[in-house]
Amino acid sequence: MSHWLLLAAKSAWNRRLTLGLTVLAVALSVVLLLGVERVRSDAREGFTQSVSGTDLIVGARTSAVQLMLYTVFRIGEATNNMRWDAYQELARHPLIAWTIPLSLGDSHRGFPVLGTTPGYFEHFRYGDSRPLAFAAGKPFAELFDAVLGAQVAEALGYRMGDRIVLSHGIGGIGLPEHADKPFVVSGILQRTGTPVDRTVHVSLAAIQAIHLDWQGGAPVPGFSIPAQYVRKFDLTPKEITAALIGLHSRAAVFKMQRYIDDYKGEPLMAVLPGVALDELWRVVGVAENTLLAVSGMVVLVGLTGLVAVVLAGLNERRREIAVLRAVGASPRGIFLLLTTEGLLVTALGCVLGILLLLALTVAAAPLAQSRYGVALHPRVISLAELRLLALVIAVGVLASLIPGYRAYRLSLADGLAPRL
Amino acid sequence: MPRLAFLLPLALSALLGTASATDEYRVGDRLPQAKAKPDAKSSYQTIRWEALVPEGWDPARDLRGINLAMLNDGDRRATEALEKMKKAWDEAPVEPAWNGQRVRLPGFVVPLERVKEDVTEFLLVPYFGACIHVPPPPANQIIHVFPAKPVKNLRTMDAVWVIGVLDTTRSEALKGGNEAMGMAVAGYRMTAEQISPYKGPAR
Repeated sequence: MSHWLLLAAKSAWNRRLTLGLTVLAVALSVVLLLGVERVRSDAREGFTQSVSGTDLIVGARTSAVQLMLYTVFRIGEATNNMRWDAYQELARHPLIAWTIPLSLGDSHRGFPVLGTTPGYFEHFRYGDSRPLAFAAGKPFAELFDAVLGAQVAEALGYRMGDRIVLSHGIGGIGLPEHADKPFVVSGILQRTGTPVDRTVHVSLAAIQAIHLDWQGGAPVPGFSIPAQYVRKFDLTPKEITAALIGLHSRAAVFKMQRYIDDYKGEPLMAVLPGVALDELWRVVGVAENTLLAVSGMVVLVGLTGLVAVVLAGLNERRREIAVLRAVGASPRGIFLLLTTEGLLVTALGCVLGILLLLALTVAAAPLAQSRYGVALHPRVISLAELRLLALVIAVGVLASLIPGYRAYRLSLADGLAPRL
Repeated sequence: MPRLAFLLPLALSALLGTASATDEYRVGDRLPQAKAKPDAKSSYQTIRWEALVPEGWDPARDLRGINLAMLNDGDRRATEALEKMKKAWDEAPVEPAWNGQRVRLPGFVVPLERVKEDVTEFLLVPYFGACIHVPPPPANQIIHVFPAKPVKNLRTMDAVWVIGVLDTTRSEALKGGNEAMGMAVAGYRMTAEQISPYKGPAR
């Protein structure tokens, strides 16, 4: 067997240009297939890591998935708010251990701003029930204090004590700014690998204060309340976007959910994060499977190309094969030679594909993190990817049987003097 | 070669797993249960969900005492009895005899916590769809399960068999809590040694 491998390798080296290109084609298709799988699993993991210990997410009635997407992942926008007094009443319910109010809608240079209470830093959990930790500073104490997520601080180069200006609304450039009321960085959180890293945290009172002299989503012309006088006004929030709830006993979650869904004060809804996440995967799963199927097709195309190249090379190599037969190679040996060549090309393509993908992951990770909040983990290969790769190689071997069989037949029929 | 073209999509779909099992159930469906019996060969006993309700607990007791035919329309006593039943339902007690028992029972999963994609904490409920649209099951029909090790491929409303040790003591968060609250959150917890997909009789 090993001398066939050597012979196949040496023979292939003679045709290195065409075979090299075939290896590249297989490698690129493998990059696509494994890349789809990698982004899928990393995105899922990122989402799952982002919320932990929260029993219910409460907000105005909308879809469960949407409520979770904007409260936890800051994707999309709220359709409606909930009133502050409704939140207060819920927070007093005896089953509830803690609540975190969330007020979204402003941004800072593309990063979402979250209005909340200091309780957020105490109760919020991510990953494997890990609490938030400060890399520097402390929770906001003054009215215009802000706590930055690790990535906000890193991307914009902020340090403790820097002054930042928030913008009204979420998204592009040219948003109206709250320039008259700058915030001071009072704390920077440690990296979590979750949307918290991309968030600017301020107090609910501050959210209220910067909108005091605003009406209908724009500053009232010719009127402004200077920052030093905002405390003269009532800074109790009127409404919040949503709230996270933790219960004393997690088994009581259905009862609490029922209570919130039936709440008479205003139409509210409560979702279990785990259930909403599963719902999201069911929807996204269709698209994921389609992508995976398409990239599977691309691998097939690559392998078809491989078969075509080896088959086409067969005609040029009839003399080579005849010589091998003359010096004593059996027809089965010829069969092995051709099949081994196919296997070699597939295996090389897979190895090259893995290396390319690794390079690509390392290169694209910072962009994926900052643009889409997806943490790509550079790694050589995971178990799920290994299964896909085994499948590719198996199909590659099967496909290589075709030129092998053809060479076997030819070597039997041709004898020493093939007509070319 | 054209024949080979079938192989990859086929194998791919086999790898990814086909449609989830949840599609087979409708809201309110229960899993067919085995007869309650101590299993001679193993150290656990297979139980029914009804066994988790203390014997003699009857939330509708007051309602049964009333002869509805004898009441006037809109009678206050009927409404009061109904309210009382709902309250009793809300404060459903647990059966302390189950504390420390090793049991096996089937149910539906509502995931609570995940590490990566594996479930590390979930609620087990007796009927399908317990978290949506339908009134929640009483506290003694919900089991808070802590798997010994994270469970792979577990999704909302998957049907599973769970084997583990029941715990009826109240959660530690309640120490010092008031009595009313303690009543409201009493329930079953379980440390699960084994969780396997439910494969019942053909439906």
